[in-house]
Amino acid sequence: MIILLAIAIGALFGGATYLVLRRSVVKLILGLILLSHGVNLLIFTMGDGVRRGAPPLIDASGQPPAGVADPLVQALILTAIVISFGFTAFVLALAYRSNQAAGSDDLDDLSTTDRL
Amino acid sequence: MLYPLVLIALAAAPFALVARFAGRDRIAWGLALIPLAIFGLTLAQAGSVWEGGQVVERIAWVPALGLDLSFTLDGLSLLFALIITGIGTLIVGYAGHYLATDNGLGRFLAYMMLFMGAMLGLVLAGNVLTMFVFWELTSVTSYLLIGYKHDYADARRGALHSLLVTAGGGLALLVGLLLLGQAAGSYELSDILAAGDVLRAHALYPAAVVLILLGCFTKSAQIPFHFWLPGAMQAPTPASAFLHSATMVKAGVYLMARLSPALGGTALWDVTLAVVGGATMTFAAIVAMRQFDLKAMLAYTTISMLGALTMQIGLGGKYGAEGVATNILAHALYKSALFMLAGVIDHECGTRDLRRLGGLRAYMPRTMVITALALLSFGGIPVMFGFVAKELMLEAALETELGAMLSTLAVAAIAVTAGAYLITGWRLFSNTFLGQRSVAAMQQHITDPTPGMLIGPGVPAVLSLIIPLAFLGPISSLIGPASAAIYGKPLEVKLALWHGVNTALLVSLGAIAAGAVLARFGEQLANLRGWPAWMRGDMIFDRLIERTLTGATTLTRTIQEGRLRRYILLTALALLVFVGVPFVGFGISSIRFDLDPQLQFYEILAAALIPVGVIATINARTRLGAIIAVSVVGAMVALLFVLFSAPDLSLTQLLIEVLSTVFLLLVFSVLPVRFENFSAAWVRRRDAIIATAMGFLMGGLVLATATNDAFAPLAPFFLENSLEKGKGANVVNVILVDFRGFDTLGEITVLFIALLGIYGLLRLRQGKDNVAPERVTTTEPAAEPVDTKR
Repeated sequence: MIILLAIAIGALFGGATYLVLRRSVVKLILGLILLSHGVNLLIFTMGDGVRRGAPPLIDASGQPPAGVADPLVQALILTAIVISFGFTAFVLALAYRSNQAAGSDDLDDLSTTDRL
Repeated sequence: MLYPLVLIALAAAPFALVARFAGRDRIAWGLALIPLAIFGLTLAQAGSVWEGGQVVERIAWVPALGLDLSFTLDGLSLLFALIITGIGTLIVGYAGHYLATDNGLGRFLAYMMLFMGAMLGLVLAGNVLTMFVFWELTSVTSYLLIGYKHDYADARRGALHSLLVTAGGGLALLVGLLLLGQAAGSYELSDILAAGDVLRAHALYPAAVVLILLGCFTKSAQIPFHFWLPGAMQAPTPASAFLHSATMVKAGVYLMARLSPALGGTALWDVTLAVVGGATMTFAAIVAMRQFDLKAMLAYTTISMLGALTMQIGLGGKYGAEGVATNILAHALYKSALFMLAGVIDHECGTRDLRRLGGLRAYMPRTMVITALALLSFGGIPVMFGFVAKELMLEAALETELGAMLSTLAVAAIAVTAGAYLITGWRLFSNTFLGQRSVAAMQQHITDPTPGMLIGPGVPAVLSLIIPLAFLGPISSLIGPASAAIYGKPLEVKLALWHGVNTALLVSLGAIAAGAVLARFGEQLANLRGWPAWMRGDMIFDRLIERTLTGATTLTRTIQEGRLRRYILLTALALLVFVGVPFVGFGISSIRFDLDPQLQFYEILAAALIPVGVIATINARTRLGAIIAVSVVGAMVALLFVLFSAPDLSLTQLLIEVLSTVFLLLVFSVLPVRFENFSAAWVRRRDAIIATAMGFLMGGLVLATATNDAFAPLAPFFLENSLEKGKGANVVNVILVDFRGFDTLGEITVLFIALLGIYGLLRLRQGKDNVAPERVTTTEPAAEPVDTKR
């Protein structure tokens, strides 16, 4: 099943790279959203193996279960999902605002501040 | 009691600031008691060195690294420490007169004290790393001294050149010293000196020697790094006198002399030193002969003498060692006197241009006598100390073991240099004191300066005469241990004025005669055409700096050209090169394809919808299409989490996905309905290729790392302790709120800050002066619903 995740991650990173290289602000944001999905799935593969039907829960016996999914990467991803949401929301507000101020979706119209 | 010597000088620096107040000449002589006290304290410890021993002290500095602050006083350190503090005493006193009208005298003397402390630390260091620290400190403090008159562009340029050249050499030196310490197994000088045979046979030896010599040659202004020294003449004369007669530039010579017992004796070391030193000596002597500025003249003769010292270390042997020690002392005496005298003349006449001076003999008789004494020693005229030193230099050249050719060349070079020195000395003297009184000099009332100002140059000049006549015995007992330290073996030194008629004396007399004859044509020689300006080292160096800056600017403009996608492009390319190339080379073979027998069709479906959603997002022509496509991707990611045992993730992902979609709908409502392609077709194709490569790289990395169990997972710890210590059965939740609770706190903080930012951005709309009015009106209707819904 790791091959499935590898294909999904590859597609997400590839698509995100293409989108963040665009001049349009909208596409840049879409790229960032895809990128955070890709990174989350990437972390998902980094733990103690990917498993089916074995969530990291301790049953009524109170014994630590064997052969369950890695809880640490899940905790990390949970944090990452929430933070990337906060980040996406902020970028969206920024795009909304810059569109209001500059009246353009083209990043080249916004590039004057960073030029040497 | 060695490190207190260094500490006293460094600690005295703030006190020197009292010289800001009036009565500066007297305050300066009072401050001169500090170096004098250090001189006395050093001399008090001379007895144990003369009995053949060393004074060693060690303070633990960074014990964990085995780094000690260790100090050693042996013959060579003693000679240098006495010169530094002795000349330092005179110069501090002299500076009070020279800068009597300058409010900055306090600052100047504070720099001087710091510099003196650094220099003392350098020569007393018993550990190469300790020494390096002080070596760098001399570079920094001399930068402050040379740039003292920072109102002048030339002073800033001179200071910068000296700093860049000596600190650049310092970097090479540091690496060289580290290699040396690796090869010797210790950074203590005593261990390094004892490990000579091991070092010379070691594989690191050539690299260490080249790097150390680079440091020494830059510090001691050897060709081709000599150009910074004349530029450093922008320093006030007392600083020049101190830096270039006795201290700063001798640091390189000191280090070479110090290490020559360990590193010398090979062709690499001996021949390099002899050739570079000899070339520097001759070249600078000839350039000096043709100068018109008093200080420039002295600067080039200083370079020449540094070359002579380097050459003698290379020539080696008993006479080489004696010659180095004797010449260091002789040069320190006459050169400090000459620099201070140049300052006196400059101070009284307002110029130090030989073409504008002349006829001062009637007005400055005392100055003339002292100058004559110092110049006689400089020219190596018999009975002066400079003569004794020059004879030893000639003996070193005649007795060297480097072969007949180098020996002959060295003797010839010394003879040429001696002749050039005579011409230089004569030009300096005749143009200043003899002949007609110049127009420039007539406009002022010129007299000898106050006696206090003449003490500075007077003492070393008179010593240059008295030492060979009366004190060769005591001086021999100072030179002896110093020579022994350079030679590496015990040495019996008896300096003498008269060795009988020998080759050295004949060569010396021949050079004096030739110089005396040619001195009549000194001005014609000086007026011959020189080489073009672009060949001068300082010009070349200036252009080098300029090019470096231009190059850096061009590079920055290329990388940081103001467009986000360029930064991302470069980052992606860098990742592809630095991760992708090694991965294709080494990692790709570790990918294993294990076909999973339990693979379900709905798993394949969920995973396959992700690339489909990605492509649909990219190809979407309308904003609604893009939002739907990107939501499909998010939903499939949530589904994958469910399928692969992460229910918490799935719940969160779904919740966030819904929120994100709402947000996207809100914000995209103000954006254009249809997307247009801004980039040209070829740019899109290029980006597609890069993106595809990126996708394959990341997918490949996942396959390669996920099948790799090189690292033990942390999971068992959490699984075992979740219930017992965290009192929770859902391990993921326990990690979030308990084991890694601070992470969650940080996450909440990030969300809060994002919220504040969003709030601020959306509220800003109401600040009318922030936004161009016509834009506000065009977007107002579309923006309205966002506000109401929030």
